Amino acid sequence: MAAMTTGTARFGGLRQYAHVVRVVASAEFKLKYSGSALGYVWSVVKPLGLFGMLYVVFGRFFKLQNFPHYPIYLLLGIVLWTYFTDTTQIAMTSLLARSTLISKLWFPRVIVPLSVSTTTTMTLGVNLLAVAVFVAANRIRPQVTWLLLPPLLLELFVVSLGVGLFLSALFLRLRDIGQVWDLVLQLMFYASPIIYPVGFLPEWWKPIAFLSPLVQIIEDARWALIPNEAVATAPDVYGTPLGELLPLTVAGIVIAGGYSFFRAQSPWFAERT
Amino acid sequence: MPPAIEIDHVSKVFSIPHEHRTTVKEHFLHPLKQVHYEQNRAVDDVTLTIEKGEFFGIIGANGSGKSTLLKLIAGIYVPDSGRVAVNGLLSPFIELGVGFNPELTARDNVHINGALLGLSRRQMSQRFDDILAFAELERFVDQKLKNFSSGMQLRLAYSIAIQVDFEILLLDEVLAVGDQSFQEKCRDTFDRFRTEGKTIVFVSHDLGSVARYSDRVALIERGRLRQLGDPDEVIGVYLSRAAASIS
Repeated sequence: MAAMTTGTARFGGLRQYAHVVRVVASAEFKLKYSGSALGYVWSVVKPLGLFGMLYVVFGRFFKLQNFPHYPIYLLLGIVLWTYFTDTTQIAMTSLLARSTLISKLWFPRVIVPLSVSTTTTMTLGVNLLAVAVFVAANRIRPQVTWLLLPPLLLELFVVSLGVGLFLSALFLRLRDIGQVWDLVLQLMFYASPIIYPVGFLPEWWKPIAFLSPLVQIIEDARWALIPNEAVATAPDVYGTPLGELLPLTVAGIVIAGGYSFFRAQSPWFAERT
Repeated sequence: MPPAIEIDHVSKVFSIPHEHRTTVKEHFLHPLKQVHYEQNRAVDDVTLTIEKGEFFGIIGANGSGKSTLLKLIAGIYVPDSGRVAVNGLLSPFIELGVGFNPELTARDNVHINGALLGLSRRQMSQRFDDILAFAELERFVDQKLKNFSSGMQLRLAYSIAIQVDFEILLLDEVLAVGDQSFQEKCRDTFDRFRTEGKTIVFVSHDLGSVARYSDRVALIERGRLRQLGDPDEVIGVYLSRAAASIS
C-alpha cells in the first residue's frame, strides 16, 4: 500500500490558499489581455456583442422585444451563461496548461481550477457592471429581491467550479472531452431559456429543463432583478416552493461529485500532464 | 530524532503505451486491438534513510531514475508501492527550476512560485528584494520570463527555492547551467545551510561537487539502488562501471 506524507503543513491555513489563489488569479487576469490594446474592455465587449447580435435577430426579427424587459433579461442571461462557459472551458484545459508547474512543485492541485474560476469571476464582475448600467438607464428602481442576487451568484460560482473540477481531471485522461463539452454547451444554450422567454418551452420539457441549476439561476436572477409574471422559476414549474430544492440538489451533487473526482485523480496529475 | 526522509521499498512504474490512445475514436475504432504497454520501472524497490542535517548526493546515468526519486520525495509523484515519509518543510528545485510561466514577468513568477512554495504575503514582501538581488536580476524584474536565458531562469528559480523556510532542500542539477560566479554563490549558500543544520538532497553529474559536499552518496542504476555510502567509494564504483559499459 502506497502512503505519502510531505512537509505540507504550510498549506494547512485557508489564508495561504486565499493568498495563492489571489496571486495566481490576478496574474492570469493580466495575462489574458497582455499584448492587446484594449485589454479588459474585451471582456465586456464580447458578451455585449453577442447580446447585440441576439437582440437584433431574436428581439427585432422574431419580435421577442414585445416581451416585458426582454433586453435586460437577455443581457443578464447571456452574462451569466458566458461566465459558465468561460469557467468550464478554461478550467478544463487548465491543468494541462500548467504542466511545467505541476511536474515540478507539489501544491494542492485544486488551486489551479480555483484560480481559473476566480479569474472569470473578476470578468463576471465587470460584465455585471454593464448590466447595472442597463438597469439604471431603464430607470428600474432598487428592489428588496436584489438581496437574492449574491446567493444566486454564489451558486453559479459553485456549480461552474464543480463542472470545471470534473472536466479538468477528466481532460488529462481523455482529450475528446474538449469536443464533447463544446457540443454539450451549444445544446444547453439552445435548450435553456436564455434567448427566448421561459414560456416558449414545451410543458413536458420544463420540469426537465429546471433540473439544470443554470436554468434555475438565470430565471431566479431575472426574477430577482425585475420581478415579473413572464419569468417562471422552479417553484412555478413544479407547483410547490419545494421545487426550488430540485436544481439546488443537482448543484450540490455537481460540486460534491466534481470535487471528489478531482481529489481522487489528483495524485496522478503530474505524470498525466 | 526522526530521520528527514525515509524511503521504504519504493517503486514507481510508468506505463508507456506503444500506441498512444487518448481519443474516444481510437478506443472505438480499435476496441479489440491490444495496446502494448511498456512497463518502465523508473524506481525499483529503493530503500533509503536520509538523516536530518545530512548532505546526500544521488548520482547515476541519464534516465536512471534520479529525478523520479526526487519527485517521489517531493510528493509530485505517488509511489506504486512502498512508503515515502518526509519530516520537515521541503523546498524542491527539480529539473532546473520551480516551474515558471514564460508569458509572465519575473515579478509575477516570483510571487506565484513563492506563494505555491508556502511564502505568505508578508514574507514575500519582505523577501522579494532579496530574491531578485541574489539572482542579480533586479534590472529585468518586469521582463517576461521567455526573454530570459536558461541561466537567468535557473538563478531566479534557485533564489526562490532557498528563500522558503525549508528544512529539506531538493536540488536537481543546480550547478549545471549557472556561470562561474553563480556556482560560487551556490557553494556559499551550501556552506551556510550546513552550519544551519539543513538537510540537502542533490542530484548532480558534477562528481567533483558531489564528492566535496556529500556526507553520503547513492548510486542509482536502472531504478535500483546500486551502491550507498562513502562519496569517494560510490563515485569510484560509478566511474568504473561507466568505463566498463563503454568498452
